[in-house]
Formats: sequence, structure tokens, C-alpha cells
Amino acid sequence: MNHLTHDEFVLSYYGEPDLGDARRAHLASCGQCGNELAQLAAVLDRVTPLEVPEPSDDYEARAWDRLQWRLRGERRKRPYFAWIALAATMAVAFIAGVLWKSSSRPADKPASIAATDTSSTARRPEDAKTPVPNRVLLVVVGEHFDQSERVLVELTNLTPNGNTDISATRDRAQELLESNRLYRTTATTRGEEDVATLLDELEPVLLQLAHAPAQVSDAELRAMQKRVEAKGLVFKLRVVRSDVNRDARAPQTSI
Amino acid sequence: METDHELIERVRGGDDEAFRLLVERHSRAIYRSAYRITGNGADADDVVQETFLRAYRALERFDARAAFTTWIHRIAINCSLDLIDSRKRRDAKHDDEALAAVASPAATPDRIVHSIEMQRAVAAAMERLSGNERTAFVLRHFEGMPLEEIGKVLGTQLNATKNTVFRAVKKLREQLQPFTGSLV
Repeated sequence: MNHLTHDEFVLSYYGEPDLGDARRAHLASCGQCGNELAQLAAVLDRVTPLEVPEPSDDYEARAWDRLQWRLRGERRKRPYFAWIALAATMAVAFIAGVLWKSSSRPADKPASIAATDTSSTARRPEDAKTPVPNRVLLVVVGEHFDQSERVLVELTNLTPNGNTDISATRDRAQELLESNRLYRTTATTRGEEDVATLLDELEPVLLQLAHAPAQVSDAELRAMQKRVEAKGLVFKLRVVRSDVNRDARAPQTSI
Repeated sequence: METDHELIERVRGGDDEAFRLLVERHSRAIYRSAYRITGNGADADDVVQETFLRAYRALERFDARAAFTTWIHRIAINCSLDLIDSRKRRDAKHDDEALAAVASPAATPDRIVHSIEMQRAVAAAMERLSGNERTAFVLRHFEGMPLEEIGKVLGTQLNATKNTVFRAVKKLREQLQPFTGSLV
């Protein structure tokens, strides 16, 4: 009978039933095959499992902490992208409309309307060169500043009590963080420097808060509160929000 | 205590707290399996995260007749395989160097067998296996999993599974024989 093949030695080593009685009998009686199996066993016996270091006692909680942040992104992904797509479409349509009107007005305006268009809302020639304020952006950013201000006031009003629960504030910061990034990019692109600067200052604070644990020690809470106060963020938010709301409400003479 | 299936139903109804309970119930076991396949804690951590993320996305498709433990471990093994594949591409050069280092003439067989260098040799040899070979070998050799079960995890037929284990053993033997030859 033929000697065992490499694969049959492996089956034999692992005690797999597929080997068959006849081959087992050969192995038992053949010195060469017995020696070959011993050599294989000498290698495989020394392949011992890696020592798996036991994870810390709070491993499960830490795994969940890391994971839940990513799950939030999952949950938000669809509605979030749907909103972004809708907002982008509206913004493009809006801007396209503004630009089309701005560029077509002088040439296309019917003489009869031009002749009667002498009201206070009529656009003066020098206004034609000033950038058109992005009313859509200002409206949504005003709302965003309002919500951010409330989160920061909430944070600065918390009284340290050993292990303060900031989960509600943190959750709102997480929701605001994504919008903040989007608005900052848009504001920069649209040349709204004051708005972009404030959003830029706000972002690291929201980021820190969004990634904070649900409960923080007194020292951690005071550090976060100091950071907000040191930047004067609440005050700046009030000032810029007020300006933004005024601009957003102002008559759009350019349209 | 609620069963896994009861928790899954709650998650499907929008209750993320139930998903937290699933994570807390299974993450440690998945970490251990992933560690054995990937060979280090940081990768095992990443596998745990990726596994539960994929499970969350696929929970709607989970077949209630199956065991959640088997299903989640299958995902974990696939995540481990993906990670090994990406790491292999990244570290191919490093693996060769590692094996060459432990196979140096200065490291005599007698000294190696009971030393940490043998572990390093095994680790380096394991790194040279393909993802499927490594997983099949780990599951058969370390976990004692039957070949049929391994086939289910890898999504391969029984014969293909056997061949994967055979190839893995052959490669390991070629790499490690020089360290054990004198003992036989």
C-alpha cells in the first residue's frame, strides 16, 4: 500500500474521521509513515496559541463608548445626506437665480419698469458692485448660533458635583458639530469672514464636548468651562448672532 | 436576562440601548478571537469596532433562526481577514525581515524551542499565510473547530476548506521545520 500523503498526515494529526480505517491501519504498521507523522507533530505541537492579554475590566464599556460615536454617524447618515442634498440644491437654485437676475437686469429691464422703479428699494448703481448677502446661509447660521449658545450656557452653568452628568449637553454638541463644519466651509466660500471665524473658534469646543464621556470629574468640567469662558464664546455668539439675524432680516434690495 | 434575539428585536425597533447590551455581552469574546487571528491588541480592538458596526448595518438582514454568536463571530473573522489583507500589503517587506531575523544562524534550535524566539518564528510564519489560510488554521488548530464549521465561516465547501488547512500546515511546516528538525 502507498504511504500516506501530506494531506493524510494532516487529517491524522487532527484526528479527522475522513482518513479511513485502511489508511489508519497502514499508518499504524508503517515505520516510515510513523516517522513522518512524528515530524509533522513536532512542528505543529510547537505552534501554540498566542497568549491573549486579558482586556481591562471596563473593556466592554470602552468598546461601547468608541462605537456609539460611529453609530450616531450611521443613524444620521441617510437623513443627514438627504438634508444636505436638499439644502445644496436649494442653495444652488437660489444663487443661480440671484446671479441670473443680477446679470440680466440692466440689459433686460423693460423701459416701462425702469422708468417707474424709483422707490426706496430700487437698487442704486453703486450697489450693483457689492456682494449679494447669502440670506439662506445667514438664516440657518443664526439658528445654529442660537443653539450653540444655549449648549455653552448650559455647560458653563453646570455645578461640579463630583461626577457631573453632561450626557445631554454632549449629545447636543455632537449634533451641532457636523452642521458647524458645513456652515464654516460655506461661510468661508461665501466670504462671510466674521461668521467663518466664529464657527472656526466654536468647532474645537464642540469637538471636545462631543467626545467627552457622559460623566466628567470636577477638574474636567472646570477645564471645559474655563475654555468656553476664556474664549468669550458666549458673548461672541450673542454679538455675531445679533448681526447675522439683522442681516438676514434686512430687505434684499439686490434681488 | 433577555436573549440575544430579544435584544435584536429591540434594536430593530430603534432601541440602541439594546445594541449596547449586545456589544457588552459579546465584545470580549470577539476581542479574543480577533487577537488570535490578527496577533495584536490594537488590531483586535479595531476588529471589535468594525464587527459591531457591520453587524449594526446588517441587523435587518439577520436571520432569526441563526445563533447571534455564530453570526457575529463570522463577521468578526471576515473583519480580521480584511484587516490582515490590508496589513499584509502594507507590511509585506517587514514580514520577510522578521522571519529572516529569527532564522539566523545565531539562533540555535535548542535555544529557540523553549524561548520567545520560537513564538516569534511562529508569529512570523503565520504572517506569511494568506488570510483564509491563517483563519482556517487558527480555527482548526487553536479553537478545535470542525472543518464543516470553518467552511461556513469562510463561505467555502468542505473540500476547499480542507485544502486551505492543508496548505496552511504545509507552509508552516516549511517555515518552522528548521527550528524543530533536530528534536525529531
